[in-house]
Amino acid sequence: MTDGQEQSSIKEPLVVVVVDDDESVRESLPDLLKEFGFTVLAFSSADEFLASESVDRTTCLVLDMVMPGMSGLDLQAELKNRGRKIPIIFITAQKDESIRKRVLDQGAVDVLLKPFSDTALRKALSKAMGED
Amino acid sequence: MPAQPENPAEEVRHLRRCISDLVSVLALPATWTGGRPSQILGNSLDALVSMLSLDFVYARLKDSTVTSFTEMVRVGASWESKPQPEDFGEKLQPWLEGDFQKLPAVATDFFGKPAITLVSLQLGLHAEIGVLVAGSQRSSFPQQTEKLVLNIAANQAAIGLQESSLLSAQTRVASDLGERVAQRAAELAATNEVLRKEIAERKIVEERLRREEAELRRSEAYKAAVLDSSLDCIVAMDHEGRITEFNPAAERTFGYQRDDAIGKHLGDVIVPAHLREKHRAGFARHVATGESRVLGKRTEMTALCADGKEIPVEIAITRIAEDGPPSFTGFLRDITERKRSQDALLEAHEKLARSEERWRLVFENSAVGVTLADFDTRLLAANPVFQKMVGYTEAELKQLNFLDITVEEDRDSNRMLLQDLIHGKWRQFQIEKRYLRKDGGIIWARVSVSVVARTDRSSGFLLALSEDVTDRRSAEEALDETRSELAHIARLTMLSTLTAAIAHEINQPLSGIVTNASTCLRMLDGNPPNLEGARETARRTIRDGNRASEVTSRLRALFSKKNATFELFDLNDAVREVIALCASELQRNRVVPQSELTPNLPPVLGDRTQIQQVILNLLKNGWDAMSSVENRPRGLLVKTECDEGGGVRLSVKDSGVGIDPEIEKKLFEAFHTTKSDGMGIGLSVSRSIVERHQGRLWAIRNDGPGATFLFSIPPSTNT
Repeated sequence: MTDGQEQSSIKEPLVVVVVDDDESVRESLPDLLKEFGFTVLAFSSADEFLASESVDRTTCLVLDMVMPGMSGLDLQAELKNRGRKIPIIFITAQKDESIRKRVLDQGAVDVLLKPFSDTALRKALSKAMGED
Repeated sequence: MPAQPENPAEEVRHLRRCISDLVSVLALPATWTGGRPSQILGNSLDALVSMLSLDFVYARLKDSTVTSFTEMVRVGASWESKPQPEDFGEKLQPWLEGDFQKLPAVATDFFGKPAITLVSLQLGLHAEIGVLVAGSQRSSFPQQTEKLVLNIAANQAAIGLQESSLLSAQTRVASDLGERVAQRAAELAATNEVLRKEIAERKIVEERLRREEAELRRSEAYKAAVLDSSLDCIVAMDHEGRITEFNPAAERTFGYQRDDAIGKHLGDVIVPAHLREKHRAGFARHVATGESRVLGKRTEMTALCADGKEIPVEIAITRIAEDGPPSFTGFLRDITERKRSQDALLEAHEKLARSEERWRLVFENSAVGVTLADFDTRLLAANPVFQKMVGYTEAELKQLNFLDITVEEDRDSNRMLLQDLIHGKWRQFQIEKRYLRKDGGIIWARVSVSVVARTDRSSGFLLALSEDVTDRRSAEEALDETRSELAHIARLTMLSTLTAAIAHEINQPLSGIVTNASTCLRMLDGNPPNLEGARETARRTIRDGNRASEVTSRLRALFSKKNATFELFDLNDAVREVIALCASELQRNRVVPQSELTPNLPPVLGDRTQIQQVILNLLKNGWDAMSSVENRPRGLLVKTECDEGGGVRLSVKDSGVGIDPEIEKKLFEAFHTTKSDGMGIGLSVSRSIVERHQGRLWAIRNDGPGATFLFSIPPSTNT
């Protein structure tokens, strides 16, 4: 899979959803994802995302691990409960190997430690899309 | 009918006269009503003499007694002298004695009359009333008509006499009866009177008896009440010393039942064996001579109880004067208690004396300084320890007051405390103060001052116990320094243990920088380049770079790496440790911490040190918020409890300045601070830590002054 292939695709746009309580992330990450050619939606909480109509259109989820209310881990579990197999890329500012291992075991695509490079993100997205 | 009349005219005349006589005779009884027998008889005799021209008519009436009789005689005109009826009776006796049925007969020489024909007539059917004899000198006597008149007259007279006799008998019976009735009535009246008097007397007697009885009963009841309710034992005995009364108090005291005691000799019952002989002798002497050593006096003796115990009693014996031999009443009182309290009093006196001696020794040898002062704070006494403490002799101290030996800086506050004490605001106070020694040196003392209240025997004074704590004080000051150092170190430790949390704060803006920079580059690399987008992302990059630089500069010195360790721990224990750690800090800030820790909380799984840093943070926020509070107590309440989700919740409630609505939203933002000396990372870092434990940290405004900060951590199974 290459950028060219994605961009030339006539198929439905690939929707990447960003869920993070941090405003700076919601501000910066969508722009980069758009540069990658994805349609991007951003939510400040897991509840907000679940309440939206975007769940079914989501190709990939970029999810903050620690948030007030429902955490990234909770959302992962909830989606699993609902039978939604959306690939998830976790992003977190805290390095915690045990949690990383746990979410990967639960089927997460990758865990990116903030700050992460655009290549690391691109790689994770490719992995997510490839599995799709 | 009579023999041939001589001529019819004569005969008619004769018959007419006869009829007329009969009518007269028949009419006679009408005049006799109510008459006496003599009247009836006399009347009848008169009528016969005149009607029949008789020479005499004699009547003899039988009396009620057989042996006597009444005679009466009426004579005609032929009689010159009037013979007595008795004479006629005597003359007529031969016919009247015998069978007067032999009549009529002719009597000769009858009171000078040559011959006289006698006719007798019976009065009553069987002459039971009497007999009547009529006599006439006429040879024709009695003619038929005359016999008829005589018979009828005799019948009439007999009826009359019988009636009269009946009447008189009735009258006599009546009168007799009346008399007897009257007599009987009189007797009855007399008897009545006697009876009445007797009854009246008896009534009086009965009334008196009744009164006496009531009096007696009342007296008995009174006596019984006295006997029953008397607290004293009442024992009565007769002249032989036998018990006749033994009241309930006596039963209680001596343990004998009344029924068992009564009839026995007093000496055998309640007099102890060794005193019995003396008792008997004394009693015998009294009976013989009237002398007594115990009568009418209060005497103390020993008495014997049923259980063999001997008890001291007070006894007073009264002699009851009576007709006959005397009796005695004894009033006894168990004085065991009194004896005991007397002994106790004696002992107490001794104790007091010993105690006073002891107190004097305490005063002299006490390890603490003891001073007494009057209510003007003038010193009255000081023990050797205190003298040594302040370097004055007792004599010198007696010229001074409390404030004279207090350092200048403490005088005002000490004076106020003493005034409050003297005015009864409190009974005692305890302070640490500085005494000014005679040599100008200063010592720290821990002083308890109390009021010994005015009593009847004492005017009251102040008692001060002073303990030299100068050494301790120095040590404490050193400790305080150490503490603040420790607090500083603790803060550093806190920050170092917050690495992960702080990393989050730092990495967040770094993440923005990297992302924005990448985007910017991609936008510039585009064909055509997105210059507008690149400019915007570059601007954000610079902004976030500055933000990150601020964070790093503030944390640089404090930043170090430490791995978090998760373990199960008791939140209450963690809270207690934190409170203990900052106790001196709280005290210094005049904060009164209170804790309400719910026992048996579920354990928390997490980094104990980090959670303690959060608690410390919240406490520090609390006391900082109250640093300007002066008009109310600086209360800080730390509470732990189970939350609704099965986890635990901790709250810290202060009474400080509260939360400004304008900054409420920024409360948990990093480096936001309202404090001049703060870093503004406390709440932000705390929130990071709590969130790392899947928990929540928030704040609410109190109903009253101040705010409450809370965090909750879910049950450990979730982590």
